[in-house]
Amino acid sequence: MLDLIAPLADYGFMRRALIAGLALSLAAPPLGVFLMLRGMSLIGDAMAHAILPGVALGFLMAGFSLPAMSLGGILSGLVVAGLAGGVSQMTGHREDSAMASFYLISLAAGVMLVSLGGSSVDLTHVLFGSILAVDTTALLLIAAVSTVTVLLLATMFRALVMECLDPLFLRGQGVRPGLIQGMFLGLVVINLTAGFQTLGTLMAVGLMMLPATAARFWSKRLEGLMGLAIAIAMLASTGGLLISYHLDMPSGPSIILLAGIVYLLSALFGRYNSLFARLRRRAAPLDAPRNGTSSA
Amino acid sequence: MSRLHLDGLALAQGARTVLEGLSGSFPDGAITALIGANGAGKSTLIQGIMGILPPLAGRIDCDVPKERRAWLPQQLALDLSFPMSVEELVMTGSWPTRGALRGYRPAQYRQARSVMQRLGITHLAHRPLGELSGGQRQRALLGRTLMQEAELLLLDEPFANVDSDTVNVLIQVLRDMADQGTTIIVVLHDLEHLARLADCVLMLAGGHAQWTTPHAVLERHGVTDLASQAPFVSLTFPDSSSCST
Repeated sequence: MLDLIAPLADYGFMRRALIAGLALSLAAPPLGVFLMLRGMSLIGDAMAHAILPGVALGFLMAGFSLPAMSLGGILSGLVVAGLAGGVSQMTGHREDSAMASFYLISLAAGVMLVSLGGSSVDLTHVLFGSILAVDTTALLLIAAVSTVTVLLLATMFRALVMECLDPLFLRGQGVRPGLIQGMFLGLVVINLTAGFQTLGTLMAVGLMMLPATAARFWSKRLEGLMGLAIAIAMLASTGGLLISYHLDMPSGPSIILLAGIVYLLSALFGRYNSLFARLRRRAAPLDAPRNGTSSA
Repeated sequence: MSRLHLDGLALAQGARTVLEGLSGSFPDGAITALIGANGAGKSTLIQGIMGILPPLAGRIDCDVPKERRAWLPQQLALDLSFPMSVEELVMTGSWPTRGALRGYRPAQYRQARSVMQRLGITHLAHRPLGELSGGQRQRALLGRTLMQEAELLLLDEPFANVDSDTVNVLIQVLRDMADQGTTIIVVLHDLEHLARLADCVLMLAGGHAQWTTPHAVLERHGVTDLASQAPFVSLTFPDSSSCST
């Protein structure tokens, strides 16, 4: 057991990677829960592609500078989110079609930029991340993003919940509908940008969505969903990091695959709507006491 | 007395003008039924009054502050799979005083309790919205507007998919609210509810509106004694070309 966690004590880069992973695990999964509840699970994926050209541009202009790459990623992510929202409002098409168009353009542009300016090693790094690259600057950035996310999410929590449930109610109360949505997507973008250093642009979204979708098999309450999602993400970050060290595997895929295993197990054995729960479920007799465990 | 006036109002959905030349006042402390065929513009008018849809021409003068205007949407407009309990939904009605940031106080919880009691849903307080019947949901939604202490209440087909016990409770609560001075506008589809609930009627047809009384509407449909009629008589509407105001 001690051997298992020894690398965390022995190596500074492992400790930094662990802290980075835990900080990301605190901030990203609650966003994933809201994305999932709003039927926007794939938007996170689209946004992850959208930050790529900005990261690439930052890389081209300043080399392997984390602040430059992150700033670029945040800007291009926000631009794509804004453009997609604008186009859908202007044309009346659904937002997902505009989003899909822009993220595909972004992905191609990003890969093109990295290929023009760097080697395939650089491209691999940007796409898939590397824990060895988590230095103090990266750690500060991730911690800052996660702090801002938690604080902002707490501030806008009630409005966000009401926007999900009944957007017209908020409009009737004079709250601008785009405001909450825009702030929320902004949080998604900065979290994906913070995650690309450890997990890569394409996999950062995994730590956001997989814990959220897995938690849905265990809780029917919003607090429960968010708490569980955070716990699952932290477990996957820590476990994935150790697995990647001991088995000499890349860290990003290890972390996300571990979260994926939790999702699959939840889908099979979870408390609500899992395969097992469906097989086992019998209708309770009418006079049985209700304890909230039955599913709709 | 009236806090809600329409003056030459025209409303459009996209490029299509739905309503034109609407004028008149909705009386305070009274229930006005909004009737008309599908597509006549009932929901459009409600959106206009809520300030969601800007007028194409004319004016809506409303003296009720925004936070005291409540709206009960059709149930389908809500995402009922969202993990929220009945009590939490009712509590969201405290938005006008608590806003996005201020915490809920014991006074609000007590108010929510009494609202739920009034609607007969106290035993459902902690049940998720997704597990409620149509009638239970409608009571919870009305609970939110009671919590809001609405002075102007708009309801879009509140009795659709709702059991008769709930209809009775809703009618009683709406009547009480009106007696306390709330201006209520309700989209209705059947004569029985119109007869039981409405004080006056705004009929929409062919893009125009006509103010009338429940009595006149019932009479035109040949109903003089509602008790002799089967419940849930559907309203029929005059041909749009024959109606202009």
